Amino acid sequence: MKLLFPLFLVFALAGCSGQSEDASKKPEGPSQIEAVTFGLGSQVAGERLYGRECAFCHVGKNTGTMMLKRRLEQDQPAQLHERKDLSAEYIKAVVRNGMMNMPPITRADLTDEELDALAEWLAKGNP
Amino acid sequence: MSSKPIPASVSEAGFATALRAFRDALGEKAVLDSDEDRSAYIDPYAFGDGLEHESSAILAPAEVAEVQEIIRIANRYGTPLWPVSRGKNLGYGGAAPVQRGDIILDLSRMNRVLDVNEKEANCLIEPGVSFFDLFNHLWERDIPLWMSIPGNSWGSVLGNALDRGIGYTPLGDNCEALCGLEVVLPNGELLRTGMAGVDQGAAWRNYKYGYGPSWDQLFMQSNFGVVTKAGLWLQPEPEMTAATELAFPNFDDAAWAVDILADLRRRDIIQHNIVFGSPVRAASVLSQRAEWYEGEGALPDSAERAIMEKYNLGWWNAKISFFGPEFVVEGSMRLLREAFEKRIGRELEFRTWHKGEPYDQSARGVPTTIGLQSVNWYGGRGGHLSFAPVMPQDGAKVLDYAKRVKAIYREMGQDYYATFTIGRRHINNVSLILYNRDDPVGTKRADALFRRLVQVALKEGYAEYRGHIDYMDLIGDSYGFNANMQRQLNNQVKRAIDPNNIIAPGRNGIGVRT
Repeated sequence: MKLLFPLFLVFALAGCSGQSEDASKKPEGPSQIEAVTFGLGSQVAGERLYGRECAFCHVGKNTGTMMLKRRLEQDQPAQLHERKDLSAEYIKAVVRNGMMNMPPITRADLTDEELDALAEWLAKGNP
Repeated sequence: MSSKPIPASVSEAGFATALRAFRDALGEKAVLDSDEDRSAYIDPYAFGDGLEHESSAILAPAEVAEVQEIIRIANRYGTPLWPVSRGKNLGYGGAAPVQRGDIILDLSRMNRVLDVNEKEANCLIEPGVSFFDLFNHLWERDIPLWMSIPGNSWGSVLGNALDRGIGYTPLGDNCEALCGLEVVLPNGELLRTGMAGVDQGAAWRNYKYGYGPSWDQLFMQSNFGVVTKAGLWLQPEPEMTAATELAFPNFDDAAWAVDILADLRRRDIIQHNIVFGSPVRAASVLSQRAEWYEGEGALPDSAERAIMEKYNLGWWNAKISFFGPEFVVEGSMRLLREAFEKRIGRELEFRTWHKGEPYDQSARGVPTTIGLQSVNWYGGRGGHLSFAPVMPQDGAKVLDYAKRVKAIYREMGQDYYATFTIGRRHINNVSLILYNRDDPVGTKRADALFRRLVQVALKEGYAEYRGHIDYMDLIGDSYGFNANMQRQLNNQVKRAIDPNNIIAPGRNGIGVRT
């Protein structure tokens, strides 16, 4: 499946003409199914948790990515797992407190231990 | 406002005793009452800080037996519980209780897909299962069953169905896809409805009604129990799908277009709920208001036209999909062409998919949160409120109502965002009200507009089907026949089965604490 989000756009954008997007055109970045299934079955707990808790907004053309794209400099990636400037502490603070239109993620959804693993994976290699 | 509320029905000492009892029963980690934890459950779309619906604590059980014990303890100490499946009912209050200080019973940790019957196209789920969870469960195991997907997939499959949410593929009336519920009653006893009430439960997910009265509807949009499991019907993967989009250039096209679409829906040529939406619906996902207009008042006609031009939209836009064997889908495509091509003056183009091909081109529902993007329309910390009265399937009435509501939006300075969702025999007009929750002028306008729309709809005999926690009482009042007899009956039942008013006081206007 390469189309769910682009498909939304197609319907939004192609309304007047009644024409679908050319099937040969591939959308940029991950498809919606790739976003939704990100990290599924990964042996790395942090990646699996990022897939479960974050990817549906922060991978592919989804709402977190779109909102960040408006705020960030053009050379900064909008997908969180491509960022190089996020520390584990910052990630944890945003997850628990939310930011702008992102609601907080509760401890019932994501335990502190799980958040540690997620933040460590997401911040890997970052200063 | 104090930021450490307790339930209005108990003393400080009584509340502390109850919390100790909950901790003894569930363990420390399943009882959350720190400021950080409680603030995570405030309605993310609330006007302002949302503290008027702040909770006192959160309980997060993982097992049915724990839910039963919680309810027994709550009865013992008189602490009201506000059950949520996942608490993502965004636009309706999220996880927040109607009554400040009530304890949230968060079922997020009960998130198992207990079984999927591939042959009979059903599954058994717990309330914490999100649309992403169920999709991934099916995807990971390559199970050829498809799901109905709502606009916001972050929430619970079961919670959405119990609140009568909808999706846009077959089986999209989500409450009707439920088959057999397991419910913890307000006295802590466990009930299984329909065929689940047979000890073996062998036909739990096959037949909804059982023997005698059917109880499932009693637990939808109500506070008569806590649903802990449900059977759910799924859609067998079809042999073919075809999808197209229709765009109607003029506002007045609503009258004839809705009549044709509703007729196709009634005859099951179109097998899904149809969204018939205005330009701001698309624009609020793809852009922000300031890109179109920064002046006073509502978006002017010129800006709406600019949106239509840029995104190649009609004034009204509808996405239509067909599912089934090839000859059926192709026949349906032909019918749609015959219904619309001459009228709109162009050929429809379909995106088609056949079983076995990559899903790129299919009309399969895949969970998404993209619709939440619309709350960023006015900038800041955004939110939305929906007034969605149920109407008859009559295009002339739709157009007349749309004209009046659009004029009211314009008069009040709010950008008009409407969809008319065409169901099997009804239409649901979602008048979405977007706002920046930190802009007092905008939130005051949103509140006033909502209240005015309730009255406008009532004059026509229309009323809301679902409700935000701030307006549950108001909406309950809309059902006024014979001195609000529906509400009187609801409250009689409430008093009979929940005499301590423990489960979600005030939900849908039932058991309002005075």
